[in-house]
Amino acid sequence: MSELTEDKGAPDGGPALPQRPVMLELDLTINGDQYRLTCEPGDTLLTVLRRLGLFSVRFGSGTGESGAAAVLFDGRLVSADVMLAGQASGHKVTTVESLDVATGELDPIQQAFVDIGALQSGYSAGAMVLAARALIEANPDPSEAEIRDALSGILDRETGYVKVVEAIRRAAAARRGEKVPPVEPVVLEPLTGPGSTERRVPSAEALQAPLAMPHVVLSSDVAITAVVGKPEPKVDALRLAKGRPVFTDDIDLRHMLYAKVLRSPHAHARILAIDDSEARALPGVHAVIHYGNTPRVKYATGGQTWPNPAPWDQVSFDNKVRFVGDRVAAVAAETLGIAEEACRRIKVTYEVLPGVFDEVEAIAPGAPLVHDETDTEGIYDAAHNKSHHIEGQTVTDEALEAAFASAKHVFQQTFHVQQQQHAPLEPHITIGWLDDDDRLVLRSSTQVPYHVRRMVAPLLGLPVRRIRVIKPRIGGGFGGKQEMLIEDIVGYLVLATRRPIRLELTRSEEFACARCRHAMTLTLRTGVDDDGHLVAQDMHVVSNTGAYGTHGSTVNTVGGMHGMSIYNCPAKRFRCDVVYTNRPVSGAFRGYGAPQNFFAVESQMDDIARALGMDPYELRRKNWVQVGDPLDIVPRLGERGDVVEIPQEDLPRIMSCGLQECGAQGTRAIGWERRNDPSWRQPADRPTIRRGIGMGSAIQGSGIPFVDMGACSIKINDDGSFNMLVGATDVGGGSDTVLAQIVAEVLGVELKDIIVTSSDTDITPFDVGAYASSTTYVSGGAAKKAAEAARARIVTRAARLLDLDDPGSVELHDRRAWGPDGRSISLGDLALNSLHTEDQEQIMGTASHYGTASAPPFAVQLAEVEVDVETGQVTVKKLVTAIDCGVPINPITASGQVEGAMLQSLGYALTEDLVLDASGKLVNDRFGPYWIFRADDAPVCEAILVQTMEPSGPFGAKAVGEVPMDGIAPAVRNAVLNATGVKVNQLPLLPERVWRALNNVPTSG
Amino acid sequence: MLVFLPVSLEEAFDAFEQCPDAHFLAGGTDFMVEVNFALRRPPAVVCLRRVEELQGWRVEGSEVVLGAGITYTELLAPRLGELLPGLAQASRTVGSPQIRNAGTVGGNLGTASPAGDSLPVLAALDAKIVVASKHGRRSLELADLIVGPKRTTLAPGEVIVEVRVPAALGSQQFLKVGTRNAMVIAVANVALVADWAGRSVRCALGSVGPVVIRAREAEEFISARIDWEGRTPPSDGDLAEFTALVRSAARPIDDHRSTADYRRHSVGVCAERALGRVFSGDNREASERTSWAS
Repeated sequence: MSELTEDKGAPDGGPALPQRPVMLELDLTINGDQYRLTCEPGDTLLTVLRRLGLFSVRFGSGTGESGAAAVLFDGRLVSADVMLAGQASGHKVTTVESLDVATGELDPIQQAFVDIGALQSGYSAGAMVLAARALIEANPDPSEAEIRDALSGILDRETGYVKVVEAIRRAAAARRGEKVPPVEPVVLEPLTGPGSTERRVPSAEALQAPLAMPHVVLSSDVAITAVVGKPEPKVDALRLAKGRPVFTDDIDLRHMLYAKVLRSPHAHARILAIDDSEARALPGVHAVIHYGNTPRVKYATGGQTWPNPAPWDQVSFDNKVRFVGDRVAAVAAETLGIAEEACRRIKVTYEVLPGVFDEVEAIAPGAPLVHDETDTEGIYDAAHNKSHHIEGQTVTDEALEAAFASAKHVFQQTFHVQQQQHAPLEPHITIGWLDDDDRLVLRSSTQVPYHVRRMVAPLLGLPVRRIRVIKPRIGGGFGGKQEMLIEDIVGYLVLATRRPIRLELTRSEEFACARCRHAMTLTLRTGVDDDGHLVAQDMHVVSNTGAYGTHGSTVNTVGGMHGMSIYNCPAKRFRCDVVYTNRPVSGAFRGYGAPQNFFAVESQMDDIARALGMDPYELRRKNWVQVGDPLDIVPRLGERGDVVEIPQEDLPRIMSCGLQECGAQGTRAIGWERRNDPSWRQPADRPTIRRGIGMGSAIQGSGIPFVDMGACSIKINDDGSFNMLVGATDVGGGSDTVLAQIVAEVLGVELKDIIVTSSDTDITPFDVGAYASSTTYVSGGAAKKAAEAARARIVTRAARLLDLDDPGSVELHDRRAWGPDGRSISLGDLALNSLHTEDQEQIMGTASHYGTASAPPFAVQLAEVEVDVETGQVTVKKLVTAIDCGVPINPITASGQVEGAMLQSLGYALTEDLVLDASGKLVNDRFGPYWIFRADDAPVCEAILVQTMEPSGPFGAKAVGEVPMDGIAPAVRNAVLNATGVKVNQLPLLPERVWRALNNVPTSG
Repeated sequence: MLVFLPVSLEEAFDAFEQCPDAHFLAGGTDFMVEVNFALRRPPAVVCLRRVEELQGWRVEGSEVVLGAGITYTELLAPRLGELLPGLAQASRTVGSPQIRNAGTVGGNLGTASPAGDSLPVLAALDAKIVVASKHGRRSLELADLIVGPKRTTLAPGEVIVEVRVPAALGSQQFLKVGTRNAMVIAVANVALVADWAGRSVRCALGSVGPVVIRAREAEEFISARIDWEGRTPPSDGDLAEFTALVRSAARPIDDHRSTADYRRHSVGVCAERALGRVFSGDNREASERTSWAS
C-alpha cells in the first residue's frame, strides 16, 4: 500500500495549522509526462495542477458543480476541484495544454470552437474541449442529446451552449472525414417593409442551417463592407482555445500572500469591538485590517463616471454591518489556510440589531434603519430607508388622471421580481503588488479598470498616478464587475505588507457578498381605449437596493426609462422609491433595471389583450414605437418631481427601428399561430400537459449620451499591420474583435492585421468600461475615428508616393492604397517609407468619442412552454429572440450575445432567486441549489439579427448585449398564461408557485 | 492529514488500525466539498478507489452483486443497465459526466445524503448492503444502514463493500420532480418496482423525509388490488387511494425549494405516474427533461 506521507507528526483534529506542514508525495502522469510532486494532504488536484502552471484548469466553485476545473482522469472527465490530489496518485491526468503542440495552430476540436464562436470569455474552454474530446473518442457520431449530456457538468453563463454544441458537432463531423460547411450568416428574407416577401417560410437552405449559424435579415440601406458584418473569429480565440494563462489568477508571483475577508454573520449589527490579537499572533499572518486601523473614507462602490452618484454610503471597513456577508475585517497570510484560521481568531463583539429584508416593509413606519450613520450625504430619506427617489412624467398629474378617466379600460396589477445573481464562472479576483517604482499594480477581474483606478485612490490615500490597473481576460461580468468591489482591500494589504496579495471570492461569497439584480415590487396602471391604444401609463416601483445604494439611482432611472419607452402613449408617469434593506447588495446587472420593468409592462400587455379579446402581438404592433417617434419620458426622469417642459423638437427620437420586422420574424420562428389552436395547447396523448406561446418585447439604449466615453489609439508597423490600443474592456462578449473589425474596415486591411491591446491604465487610453451597452456604439465610434485619423495620414502619404494631387481620391482596400487610375502601393511599403525613408513619421491615429444620442436596440422575444398542471413544472421548449441591433459588426459575436442572454434570462424567469432564511443568511449560495441552466436542460434557442441602419452608430451599429435580457421572463409568463389561463405575477416561476396559482392554493404562513 | 492508498481491503483495515480517526473516502466528491469549505479536515483519509474487492460487479443466482466502488457511469453501461433499469434511470439523472465518473454507489450510501438519487431505488429493490471491517462482515437493509440525514450505523472501521440487488426484477420506474432535472436536489423523487413474480409493488420515496421512506401501507394496498394475471391497470379509485397512502407516508419539511405541502403533493404525483407507467410500459425518460433525443 502507498501511504502518502513523510511526516507522521501528531495529526490534529482541527483545521490545518501552519506550524507543522505535513507534505505528501505523489506520482502523476500529466499530459504524458511523469511527475513526482509534493503537496499538502488536503490539496485538491486543481491546486496541484495550477501550481504546475497548468492554468487552463480553473476555479469555478470548489464543489464540482461548475466544471471549470474538469480534466480527463484516465481518459474520463472528472472535476479536479473535488478530487483529493492524493487520490490521483498513480493515475493519468490530461489537460487542454496537451493539445498545444503546434505554434499558432489548433487541434480540430479547438478549431471548431473558434470557427463557430463557441468561446466567449473562454474561462471554461479547457474543460469544454476536454469534454468534447472524451465524447468524440467514445462516440464518433454523437446525437445532440449526447453532446448536451457531455457538457452538462460544465456551466456556461455566456453562450447559452448553442454554439458550443454546434462546435462539437462540427468537430465530430470533421473527424469522421465529413466536409464541414463554412461559417457564414444565414440570410432570411424580410417580412415587412419595402422589399419584403409575402412568403412566411424561409428557404430550404435557411431552414436546414444549424441555429448556431447567425441568422440575419439584411437591410437594403446598409453599405457593402469587407470586414464589418463578417463572421470573423475572435481576435483572442487562439489563446482562449489553448487554455493560455490569460486570466487574473493565471500568474505566479514570488512571495505572494493570500487575503481572506472576515464577513458578518449578522444581517444588521453594530461592531462594538474587534480584538485581532490572536489573529496577529498566528505565525504566517502579515496583516489584519478592520475599522480600527483603516481610514474612514466615504465612497460608493458602483463603477461609474465621476462624480460617482450619491450616496457615498460605504467605507472600506465600517463599525456597522448591514447584511450577512458584509465586510468586517481582512487578513493577509502566507497561505489561504492560515488566512482563514486567522479570520476565525478575530474576536468581534456585535450588538445585533433587528433586520428588514422586504422593500415594502422597509419603508413602513418603525422599520429598522439600515443607514443611521451621520456622515453619509445624499441619502434621499434615511429615516424611511429610502436611498433614492426617482420621478418622471410626460404630463401633469391632473392630465394623467384625466387620461385615465377618459380611458375605456384601466388595468392595475402589482408584480414582484427577485434578486438574481450574475454568477460569472470566474469570481471576483484581484492580485496586487508594488512595481519597481513602488507603484501599486492591481490586476483585476473588472469591467471598469479606469473607474477602479480613480475610485481606489482616495481610499488608499494614493494619487492616481501611483496606481496602475490591468484588466486581463475576464471570465464573465454581466455588470457584476462594474464595481470597485475588492480592489481596495488588496490595495490596503499590499501597502501594509509590501508583498503581492491575492484575493479571490469563494463561490459562496460571490453569491452572497458580490452584487445582484434589484428585487422590485412594481405596480402598473394602464389605461386603454377600445381599439387597444394605450392612453395612460403609470408605474410605481419600490426597488430593493439591499444594504448599499450602489447603482441605485441609475439602475432604477434606466429601468423606468426603458420600460416606459417601448410604447407610444400620450400620458406617462414613472415613480420609484429605492429602498435600503439588509439583503445582499443590488447593483448593475445586464439589463440594468429594464428586465424588472418589462416583466410588469409586458405581462400586463398580455392581460390587456386577453381582456379585450385581442391577439397580444397585434396589441403590441399597434402601440410599438417607430422611426421618428420621440422618447418622451427619457429626458424627464431624474431625482426631481416637477414635470420638465421640453419642446417636442428637443426630445430624443428613434432613428432606426426594426420592431415590426422583429415581431414578424419572431412570430414566424416560434409558430405563433399555434397558440390559438386548442388541440395543440392541450395535447390529447398527454393529459397533464398544457402548451402555450408567449411574447415579450423590449427596448434598451446604446450607452449613456454625454456621459460614456471611449478612446482608441492606432499606429502602423513596418509591415502595414497596426497596433490598436483601447481602454474598452472585453469581458468575453468580443468587443476587442468588433473594435478591430471597425478599424480594419476603415484602413482597408484584414482583421489579422490589427493587433489589439486592451485595458491597462498605463498603456491604453481611457474608456468608461464595459457597461450600459456602450462598447460597440461608443468605443466603436472612437475606434472608427482613430482609424480615420490614421487613414488621413496614410492617404496623404499615398497621394505623394503615387503622385496624386488629391489625397481624397485615394482609397484603401486589400491592404493597399489605391489611386483613381488603378495604381497602388502596399501599406507595408508605405509604412517602411514613412518610418524609415522620407519625411519620417509614425503614422498614428488617436481619438475619443462620446455619444450624443443613445440609439435604442429592440428585441421581440418568444417562448414556447409546456406546463405540467399536476406539478406546476414549466418546461420551456423553445426560445426565440429577434433583435434589432442596427448593423451587427460581427454576426457571430452578436448572435452569441443574444443566445447567452436568452438562457441567463430564462434562469431569471424560472429558477434563479437569492433565498434568505429568517435571519437574512443566504441559503442557496452554491451552484447546486442556485439553479442556472445547463446544456442538457436548456431549450432550443434561436437568435435572429434584424439589420437596421442606425445613422448615429459606427457602420450603422447599435448595442446588442443587454436588450435580449429583457423580454424572456414576460414571454415565459405569458406562455404559461396562454397554456393555462393562469397569471403568475411573481418571478421565478417555480413549480410550486405555478402549482399554487393553478389550483388557487394560497401559500401557508 | 495522512492519506492512505490501499489496494486491498486488508490494507484499508490496516490503515484504519494505524489511524482510528481516519475517514474512508470513495469518489470523494462530497467529502472534498467539505474540505474545500474548511468544514472538515480529518487527521487521515483512506482512499478506497483502488481497493480491488470494491470494484466491478457480478451475477450470483438471481442477484446482482455490485462492488461498492462501482460508479454511476458503470451502472449506465448496457448490460448492467438492463439488469438494473431503475438504478440506471436514477444514475442518468445524477449530476454530470464528472459526478457520474467519480461518484460511487458505496459513497452515496456512506454519505447518506437524503438527496442521493440511487437510494430510493436501492430501497425499492430491497437491496442488501454488505459492510466489512477487520472483525468480519455483516449484511443489512438500507433502513438499518441509513438512520438520518448524513447518519449511518457504520461502526468505526467498517467499510461498505457490496450492494446486493435482485436482477431484472419486474418493472422499475424512477421519477423526480425538481426545478431542474439533474444535479439539483429534487423536490421529491420516487422509485417504484412492480415485482410480477412476487406479486408485490414496492415504492420508495426520496427527499420527503430525513431518510428514504418505504410507503408500506400504499404498497400493501395496491399489491392486493392489482390484477397480477391480467396486468390491467389499477382503477382510478385504487390509484387515488394508493396516491393518498403514499402522500401520508411522506414526512416532508419546508425548505427554500418548496413547502412540505407541495412536496407531499408532488411525491404523490410521482408515485401515481410511476405506477401508471409500469402498466403502460412507458419507459420514457422519467424526469421529463427537455427532449434532445433526435
